[in-house]
Amino acid sequence: MNGSLINVGVAQVKTGAQPAVLRTILGSCVGICIYDRMKKIGGLAHILLPNDTANGANPEKFADTAVPYLVQYLLKEGAKKEFLSAKIAGGASMFKFEANVSLGQIGDRNVEEVKKALQKFQIPILEEDTGGNTGRVIDFFLEDGRLKVKAAGQEKIYYKV
Amino acid sequence: MHAHIKQRIESTINNIAALPTMPEVATKILNMVNDPEVSFKAVAEELSKDQSMTTNILKLCNSAYFSKGKEITSIERAIVTLGIKEVTNIVMVIAAKPILDKYVIGYDLGKGELWKQGLIVGTLAKKIALQKNRKDIADVVFTGGIIHNIGKTVIAIFVQNTYNDILDEVKKNNITFNEAEKEIMGYSHQEISEKILEKWNFPPVLKAIVRFYAEPDKAPDNFRTEVSIVHIANTISIMAGIGIGSDGLYHQLSKIALDTTKITGPELEELFSKIPELSKQIMEIQ
Repeated sequence: MNGSLINVGVAQVKTGAQPAVLRTILGSCVGICIYDRMKKIGGLAHILLPNDTANGANPEKFADTAVPYLVQYLLKEGAKKEFLSAKIAGGASMFKFEANVSLGQIGDRNVEEVKKALQKFQIPILEEDTGGNTGRVIDFFLEDGRLKVKAAGQEKIYYKV
Repeated sequence: MHAHIKQRIESTINNIAALPTMPEVATKILNMVNDPEVSFKAVAEELSKDQSMTTNILKLCNSAYFSKGKEITSIERAIVTLGIKEVTNIVMVIAAKPILDKYVIGYDLGKGELWKQGLIVGTLAKKIALQKNRKDIADVVFTGGIIHNIGKTVIAIFVQNTYNDILDEVKKNNITFNEAEKEIMGYSHQEISEKILEKWNFPPVLKAIVRFYAEPDKAPDNFRTEVSIVHIANTISIMAGIGIGSDGLYHQLSKIALDTTKITGPELEELFSKIPELSKQIMEIQ
């Protein structure tokens, strides 16, 4: 593996520049990888829930606050909005659960809210590896913005930036 | 079913030496605290015999996770300040760590992930018990939560060899990963966990937790609440990606567990939302 590996925990946003690699492990959470292809910097937000219920006290935890938090950080670091693009992964659901348990749908709700939040900034989602019942280990390579997703023993690599 | 895999698992679990070992002092203490007559002196004496255990207990007593504020410098003080049950929890954390804190192939768990999951599930299970006014079982679900996946450490090598067949079985028959483990290998990891706890002479309630945490509907009535609490704590943990491996979310959230514990949907979501804070809390004892 090239560069230093940075682990991103639940409800954390981490950023870096090439050749760093950002890694996280996802269940129903969603990993949002945003990359500036010219400056070769990017960040990964690992969100747990769709909507802020903490009145801004914990912006890294929720889709609707973590996306602005990450985008603004990257812009401050010199990224240009027109060069930003996103890849998202995660949002899995429990295989079997009672229909009336709302936590069962949390994966889908997370994905939906992440998309809305990215749309507000007009950041295009180039690749999406979401849903299903698998856990995912994702590696976001800041040298070229590629994303490696390991799920159910299989690896996929998404190159578009 | 792979008959030869089943045979190999059988010979592994029948070979006591192939199963993880629990320090003798831990089993002794665990069984002592179940005796209402036990004196704190007897417990202190037993613990003091094991020097490295004593050192570790004192270290954890003074961690933010367990500390009550005052610095503790002796086992006697620890028992007086924290209580026998909390000290037993500390002993279990110390004893379980070397068994769980490793890379688990087959399930594709990186080093430390199974251990972290144990601590999160134990902490969460204790929290649920207290929230539901069941202080009486808070300590046993803590211990049960920590070790609930212990069988994975033994069966992992066989999962490595049969993973694709297990996953096919999940999809073909619409069954959970654990159910498919049994179909393909003849054993589920929960059965192996039970064998390990038998070897350790652990109390029946803990055996029930590790054996049935994934299927609380099959738990014996007298332990269904304990089992259900650990079931829910485990579900929340893997949904948050903690301890999630190649088996992913191919599991169930049991209605019987929700009914037994009377946990509501909003309460579940609230517990889920606390995972990042809990992860920070356990860092010190990880």
